[in-house]
Amino acid sequence: MSRIDTQECTLEQIAATLVDVDIDGALQETAASAFPGTRAAFMRRSLGTIATAGVGGLFVGDAVAARKAMTRNDIALLRFDLVLEYLQSAFYTEAERLGKISPKTRAWVRVVGAHERSHVRALKGLLGAKAVARPAFNFRGVTSNQASFIKTAVAFEDLTAALLKWQAPRFDSRPIVAAALTLHSVEARHAASIRYLVGLKPATSAFDAPRSQRQMARLIARTRFVTSRPQVARNERPRFTG
Amino acid sequence: MRYAVGLGVLATLMVVAILLAGTGSDGGSGTATDPGKRTAEQGRRQSPGSAALLAGAAGSLPDSTRPAFDVGRTQLLDRRKVRARFASVSRRVTALARPRKGAAPVATVPAKTEEGTTNVVLVLGEKTRRGVAWVHVRLPVLPNGRTGWVPRSALGGYGFVRTRLIVDRARLSATLLVDGRPVFRAPVGIGTPAAPTPPGEFYVRLKLAGFDDPFYGPVAFGTNARSAVLTDWPGGGYIGIHGTNAPGLIPGRISHGCVRMRNKDILALSRLLPIGTPLTIR
Repeated sequence: MSRIDTQECTLEQIAATLVDVDIDGALQETAASAFPGTRAAFMRRSLGTIATAGVGGLFVGDAVAARKAMTRNDIALLRFDLVLEYLQSAFYTEAERLGKISPKTRAWVRVVGAHERSHVRALKGLLGAKAVARPAFNFRGVTSNQASFIKTAVAFEDLTAALLKWQAPRFDSRPIVAAALTLHSVEARHAASIRYLVGLKPATSAFDAPRSQRQMARLIARTRFVTSRPQVARNERPRFTG
Repeated sequence: MRYAVGLGVLATLMVVAILLAGTGSDGGSGTATDPGKRTAEQGRRQSPGSAALLAGAAGSLPDSTRPAFDVGRTQLLDRRKVRARFASVSRRVTALARPRKGAAPVATVPAKTEEGTTNVVLVLGEKTRRGVAWVHVRLPVLPNGRTGWVPRSALGGYGFVRTRLIVDRARLSATLLVDGRPVFRAPVGIGTPAAPTPPGEFYVRLKLAGFDDPFYGPVAFGTNARSAVLTDWPGGGYIGIHGTNAPGLIPGRISHGCVRMRNKDILALSRLLPIGTPLTIR
């Protein structure tokens, strides 16, 4: 894997890095053959490879049976995860739509945002009627500021991996543990890849410490990213000109 | 080629390890040169070799647990989809002519509309000046079409829509586009020549329902467009899009400036039209 200069790099290098980080070494041959003539086609192909190998190919299971086996404890933990995934997916989706971050970061966001939206769908499908509604978010300009965005993305990914680590031994149902671990490894790869992308050490120590749900809730509250939904509709008689 | 050589070496090492384990030589008690002299007691005490452990343990492990979810293919954002951006106003703010402190004020934007809903503004662009993020917005003030800059901190979260509503005053019709494609079209009533529906670029900023006034029909949408004539109208003379109790007058030039639709049409539109949708009246 070639080292990525944080100042100067091409989209191809970034995508290659993502491929390296995101999928097994066995698939690097696929990545190598994915370098076509045009940038757009290359991105499409390499990102598609990641999408299929990273998520679509892994999650196979019986959601109905798993839902029946879930305890109240499992549901409480998964609902928290869903809020966190809502937060991350909204964050990356907004950053990609605004297009104010650097091209290489945006290429990373394009892949990771798709993963996070996929996580939301998976958790919502698993929780069914027990799923929490999507909250409203206000990222207060962070999604259009490169430096702030990077800091927040690194924190999000590190913390999500740490939270899932804390939750894993607390789940009652084994299929839920298996599902949480499929999320955990992807979040850890996201954490490593964004760190690598900006010149930070992908892993800072030999062992990672878990972060409790309470700690996470406190950190999220401090960002003030989760807000009340604006009231844009009312049961009220109009006073328009008519 | 390198993989093949590597695999060959690995396989050879494993065979050697298994043979050694089979003879009891795992670095424990006894001598490798004369294994036959070891007693049965010594054999019971020694732990199995790593290779034997790996070979034996695999058969005794339970089946792996399948993950609980079943998700579809990961989807990248579709960049071709046309999106407009809007934001709620989180505090009363003065919009300025330029994105810098001390610039000329354009209008005051309250956090609530005259109908009591959260005020929203259509976002046209962004700039950061001296560390302060500024947002260029379309304003709900007269004269129509006025824009201004507000600090990002005065706005709530961004919302995105893929819709655009076009009211054609010549054809007396309203067309809703999603990603640039028409999905809804209906005849409308617009303002009389004395109180015309103003032309220009606007946006939908609120929705009212559950009221008991047949004149406005079952649903009414509020826009940021204002009548240039009925400025003293209660509530500020805002232009709405609503139903009617006189469907026979539609299509026609019959209103005080509002866009009127037959009730079945406004109900159909209300299921498709999100707040924040850009509105073109031409």
